[in-house]
Formats: sequence, structure tokens, C-alpha cells
Amino acid sequence: MINSCKNKMRIRFKEFNGVAIWKWIANDDSCGICRMPFDASCSECRYPGNDCPVLHGECSHCYHEHCIKKWINSQQTNKLCPMCRQEWKSVP
Amino acid sequence: MSLRPKVIDFNDRWPTVLDTIRCVISLSRYGAINKQTWHTHIYDLCVSTPESHAERLYEETKRFLEDHTTSMKKDISDADQDMLTVYVKYWTEYSSGAQYLNLLYGYLNTQFVKKRQANEHENYPSIECNLESNDQQLIEIGEMAFDCWTKIIIEPLKDRLVNLLLEQIHRDRINESVNQATIKGVIMSFVDVCQHRKKFPLELYEKSFEAQLLQATGEYYKQEGNRLLSVLNCVQYMKKVLLLLDDEEFRSRKFLNPTSYTKVYNECHLYLIIVNMEIFKNECNKLIVEEDMEALQNMYKLLKPIQTGIQYMVERLQDNITHIGNEKVQSLKGENLPTLFVETLLELHNKYGNVIRDVFSNDQEFVSSLDKACANIVNMKYDPKQASKAPELLARYCDNLLRKSSKSATEQEIEDKLLASITIFQYLDDKDYFQRFYQKMLARRLINNQSTSIDAEEFMVTKLKQTCGYEFTGKLARMFQDIKVSDDLNSKFLERLKVIMSADHHHQQHQQSSTTTTMATLIGIDFSIYVLQANSWPISQTSTNTFSIPQQLEKPLHMFEEFYGNQYNGRKLCWMHNLSTAEVRMCHLDRPYFVTMGTYQMAILLCFNESQRLTVGELEEATKLNTKELEKQIQSLIEGKFLLGNANELKSDSVLEINFDYKSKRTKFKISFIGQKDKIQEAEAAQQAADEDRKFYLQAVIVRIMKARKMLKHNSLIEEVITQSKQRFMPSIQLIKKCIEILIDKQYLKRTSTDEYSYVA
Repeated sequence: MINSCKNKMRIRFKEFNGVAIWKWIANDDSCGICRMPFDASCSECRYPGNDCPVLHGECSHCYHEHCIKKWINSQQTNKLCPMCRQEWKSVP
Repeated sequence: MSLRPKVIDFNDRWPTVLDTIRCVISLSRYGAINKQTWHTHIYDLCVSTPESHAERLYEETKRFLEDHTTSMKKDISDADQDMLTVYVKYWTEYSSGAQYLNLLYGYLNTQFVKKRQANEHENYPSIECNLESNDQQLIEIGEMAFDCWTKIIIEPLKDRLVNLLLEQIHRDRINESVNQATIKGVIMSFVDVCQHRKKFPLELYEKSFEAQLLQATGEYYKQEGNRLLSVLNCVQYMKKVLLLLDDEEFRSRKFLNPTSYTKVYNECHLYLIIVNMEIFKNECNKLIVEEDMEALQNMYKLLKPIQTGIQYMVERLQDNITHIGNEKVQSLKGENLPTLFVETLLELHNKYGNVIRDVFSNDQEFVSSLDKACANIVNMKYDPKQASKAPELLARYCDNLLRKSSKSATEQEIEDKLLASITIFQYLDDKDYFQRFYQKMLARRLINNQSTSIDAEEFMVTKLKQTCGYEFTGKLARMFQDIKVSDDLNSKFLERLKVIMSADHHHQQHQQSSTTTTMATLIGIDFSIYVLQANSWPISQTSTNTFSIPQQLEKPLHMFEEFYGNQYNGRKLCWMHNLSTAEVRMCHLDRPYFVTMGTYQMAILLCFNESQRLTVGELEEATKLNTKELEKQIQSLIEGKFLLGNANELKSDSVLEINFDYKSKRTKFKISFIGQKDKIQEAEAAQQAADEDRKFYLQAVIVRIMKARKMLKHNSLIEEVITQSKQRFMPSIQLIKKCIEILIDKQYLKRTSTDEYSYVA
């Protein structure tokens, strides 16, 4: 019994210390408004990541949260997605 | 007593007044004064009707004072060798007598003299009273008395008096006894007798006495200096001169008016030191090399008043430190280079820091010469084509301190050494290179869990932040944050697993108390994950390799991904298996070994559970690693003697065999998954990355400057850029020019003329 174990599992895996980086899930590499990659921050921010999140719209387009909010706020009447001209509704 | 004006005959009253004046001015040498009637006489004469006798009184008093001083002059002049003594005796009496007299003539002073002065001032406001017109002008009686002394006694006798004084001072210099009080009394009379003058009150003292004194002093010390130099060497001479200067300083205080102290000192200094400057210069270097601290301190004291002298010493010292430092640093070699490098520099810095404190009184010029010398040594390029090695060596030094090792040092010791390394850091020109190296090494310490203490890590980052600002350490701080968030994430993941597992294996729940439940009991392996923000870490994302993870890992990783997706909406994970590590237990050897290794190495070794012999091709098939990466990993395992094979010749059909005879003293250890070659590449990559950063940094600086200034000449722009970036690194002019070109291409800037740019909004 012991022998067979030795033969079968000579080298056993005990512990794993994994490293991963995280990225935004997005249908594009870069933000359609500021043209900066989603992995980088929008032009107003210093640091990407937590401080500069990505927002998805119901129309499937996504932008830096800061970029799209600035765009929506600058619109007088209709709040439209700048890509497809549908009404902008963000997915929570 | 009636205040009403009376008719008074001046000639009646004057003899009484004259008696009294004589008594007062000679401090009653000629009998007692009738104090009661005194004021009345002066008052009565001044207010008498029909005409005031004030003017007459003033003139008669003046005549009396002139007669009185003339008679004293004769006594003084006749005293010959005792002239100084007699002079002082009379002066002491006369000067206080004059003050009393002045008080007693109070009514005349205020009512007659002051009013007349005011009138004259009104009539001729543009004519300033000069010395010549002093005779015509009315002055207070006390002042008149002093002026009489000057005119009648000092002026005719001053040459004789001064000669006697100089003789006495000379005797004091050669240590013969003199009457201190007399000398000081005569000298000070020249000052005191003119004190009331509004203009040039020191003129008499300076012209009649001081000028002669200074000349005599200069001549004396010129001879004395030459005499001493003929019998003493430079070190002895300096010692002697310091004593002489001290003596002379003391002598000044003994005899002279305070305004003369520095003048006399300067005269001595000129003839004892400045004229012999070359002798000091010739000796200076030798003293520094021989480290004769006492002599150096003496030299510093002597040369301190002379800017060029100090400058010379500062230069010599700086050259010497630089020379010694460069020689020492160049001779360093061996495994422990980072430690040797830093400790050698610190030792040097410390040694000369102490010298400057003890010998040169922390003189700012010397302190900055040490700084310049240290900066020179630290940033010395031994190969002109390559950057200085200092940033890397310093970062490695810190890494050695902060990495867990068998050498146990207390937290305090580590922090002290880190703090000392900041001293060297401040001298670095290429601080940005250091930052890159440091970041790389910090990343490795954190990911591999090799930090001795997070407190010490944060201590160092805080110190760097204090030196270079938030921007410099921003990324480092975010790395710590990621580690903390990840630790939290791992414990949440464990909790989550417990819930899932207990749902799956309901019947086992009572067997495991939740406190002892570990990852290992739940999913078969100990498991922890670091989730990093890509931009804060020195990770190149392009290097992610193809890799088929071992089947044992698939489920846990998948569960973690799912868990992470729930925790953070909108994010996905990319595994960096080239950075992950694994611990394996090897049971096929003489005793069990626990070995920590890279994930790729682990994946390769696991394949040998199925078969003792495998070809490179078979391993490639099993791990899906690309050929180059696979070969590198196999080579490291052959080097580590876990596999048997020819490391130099790996082809697809080369056979590898697991080594059953592997032996090691330790049973739990770690094998490196980066070879020496990789380390060199890594250093180059770090430098390249820093060079790329420099370009962006400089462009940002240029745009910032131009945005503020709109138009700027080429040279001013270059200058500004250097000022703004030198805290981080010393940009080359070439690089700045290149960045300006890039910005012109990008249409941020425009050339308005050959040497001027303007900002394009």
C-alpha cells in the first residue's frame, strides 16, 4: 500500500501561491470618449484601477465612469450614448 | 529768592562767579563752593535788566577755561617722562569737573545757548555746522570745556603723547610691565573728549592715535612673523600665531576703544597670515592626507577670515575625499558588493562628517564639499557608456536588509541601516533608476512572502516619500495596499469555501469544527492568491505565456475566479503563472523534501509522477509551455539536480529522467526560478523601463512649463526642465532636445524662431 502510493504519487503538490492581475471586463480596449485604454485611467485621474472604474451601458457600450458622467452632464436634453445615440442607462 | 529781573553790574558779580567756577572745574582743589548762591548768580546775570549779561558771562567763562587748560598744559608738558601719568591725572579731574560745571550752567545752557542755536538754525537752515565754524557757534559750557582741552592740550602735545603710548604698547607686546590704567586713560580721553560732537566724534582718536597704532602693529608683526618662520615649521608657526592673535585680542580689550578691535586684528592677520598664504597652501594637502586634525583645525581658525583661504582648504578636502572614496569603491568586489558598497560609502561619509564637525565647526562650505565629494563617488561611472551602478547596488542593499534571511537582526537595527541608506540615496543622480530596481525587488519580496516585516517596509517607503515626495512612492504604497486587500480576499474566500463545502458534504459537517478547517482540508492544497493592480506593479503583461495548469489546480482557480467576479463586478482575472509559486513534497527520495518552486517547474516535475523518463517534446505537450520558456525551466531543474539530462543540448527528443539520488542537507527549502542570466536581463529591463519613464516625465515637465510661460527661449526652457527634474534624475541635454522634438511632432509646441518655442493650446 505504501509502496504503491510512493510509486504513484512521488511528487505531491502541497501549496499554491498564485498571482493574478485584474482587468475591467469591457467590449473594447479603450474608452470611446477619452481614447485612453481601460487599463489606464481617464485623462483626469492619476491612477487607474479602483479610483477610475469602467461603466457599462445597457446599449453594451462602456466608458470610464468619469468620462461618461461628464458627457451626460454636459448634455442639455437627451442623455444619449455617444456611440449609438440610444438613451444612456448604466448597468449596475 | 526773587525771580524778578534786577539791575546788576557784571563786574561786581563776576569775581564771585569766577571763584566758584575754579573750585568746580578743579574738583574743589581751590577751596569750597557756596552752593546756595550759585544758581542765583548765573540766573541773575542772565535775566538782569535792562540788558542780559548772558553773552558776557559766556565769553568770560570761555576765557577762564582757556586760561585754566593752558596752565595745565604747561604742567603736563614739563612732566616729560611722566607726561602720561600727569595727563591722566589732570584729565580725570577736568573731565568730571567739566560735567559738574555744565550742570551748574544749566540756565545759561538752556535759555541762552539753546535759543541762540535754534535761531541760527532758522536763519541759515542750509548751512550745516561744520568743524571750522565751531568756534563761532555757541555751545554748552560742558562742551566748551572739552573743546578747550582738545584745542589747548591735545593738539600741541598729541605727537609726544602718541609716541609715548606706542612705546608703552610695544613694551606690553614684549612682555615688559606697563601701567595699564594710565595707557587706557590717555587713549580713551581721545574718544571721550569728542563724544559730544555730532559729526565724526571719533575723528581725533582715529586720525591722531589709531592710524599710528595700526601702522606700528603692522610693522611689528611683519618682523615677528618673519622671525618666527625662520625658526618654526608651518605646524608650529600656526600654533604660535594663534597664541599671538589671542594675546593681541586681549591687548586690544585692555587698551583700546571697541571700534579698533577688528582693525588691529586685521592688521595682525594680514602680516602673520595673508602675506604667508603660500606656506599654508603648500602645507594644506599634506595635513589632509596625513589627517593631522589638530593642525588642520589651527589652519581653519587662521584662514577662516579669508574667503580664498577657506576656499582652497575646501577644494583640497573635497578632492581628497573624492579620491579616497573612488579608490575604495573601485577596489570592492565579491558576492556581497551591495553591502560593501553602501557600508564603505557610509563609513567615509561618517568619518569626514565627524572631521568637519570637530575640526571645521560644521562650516557650511565644508559640509557642502563633503556632499559634492560623496555625490561624485556615488555617481561615478566606471564605464562611460553605462549608467552608474549605484542605484542598483543601493536597491539590492535594501533588499538584503528587508528580505527574510537566516541572519537575524532586530527591527531597530534594520530601521537604522535603512535610515543610513537614505543618506546615500540623497546623493543619487538617477533616483528614478533606484525606484525601478526597488520596486522590482519589493514586488518579489511581497509576492514570495519574503519580507522580514511590513513595518520595516513601510518605514523605508515613508523615508523615501519624505525625501522625494508622494509621486515617487505612490506605486510602492499601492503595492502594499494590494497585498492587504488580497489577504482579506483570501480569508473571505476561505469562508465562502466552507459554506459551499458544507452544503456539498452535509454529512461531514459535524466532523470538522470550523476553526480548524483550512484550505488544505477543503480543496486538497493550501491556496492563496495575490490579486494585483497591473499598473502599480513592475509586471510586463505581454510576457504571459501559454500554459496548461496542472489538473489539481483547475478547480480551485476556477472557484476563485468565480468568487472574485462576485466580489468585484465588472472585473476579470488574468493569471500570472510565471510569478506564482508552489510548494511540492517529494516522496521519491531518501527522505521527504518540501521544496518551493515556480509554477512552471512544479508543472514539469508533476509530469514525472506518470513516468520516470520523458522527452522534452512530451513535456511540451503536457505543459503547453512555449519551447523557449520550457527549456529555461528544464535547465533550472537540471542545474538543481532534480532532473538528469544534458542541459546544454535540449531538443524535442532529448530524454530527461527524474533523479532518485537527490540529496540535500535541508528538507525544506526554495529553489530559484530566475537564473543569473535573467537577473542581468532584469537589471537591463529595469533601466530601459526607467529610461522610457524619463521621456514621458520630461515631456510632461516641458508641457507644464510651456503652458505656464507660453513663449520661451531654448536655453531657458532647458534650464527650467533641469531644475524641475533634478530631484528625480539628471536629464541629459540630448534627451531634453529629443523630447522637445517629440512634442513639436505631437503639435504641443511650435518653433517661433531658431531658438524659441511657443505653446500650442
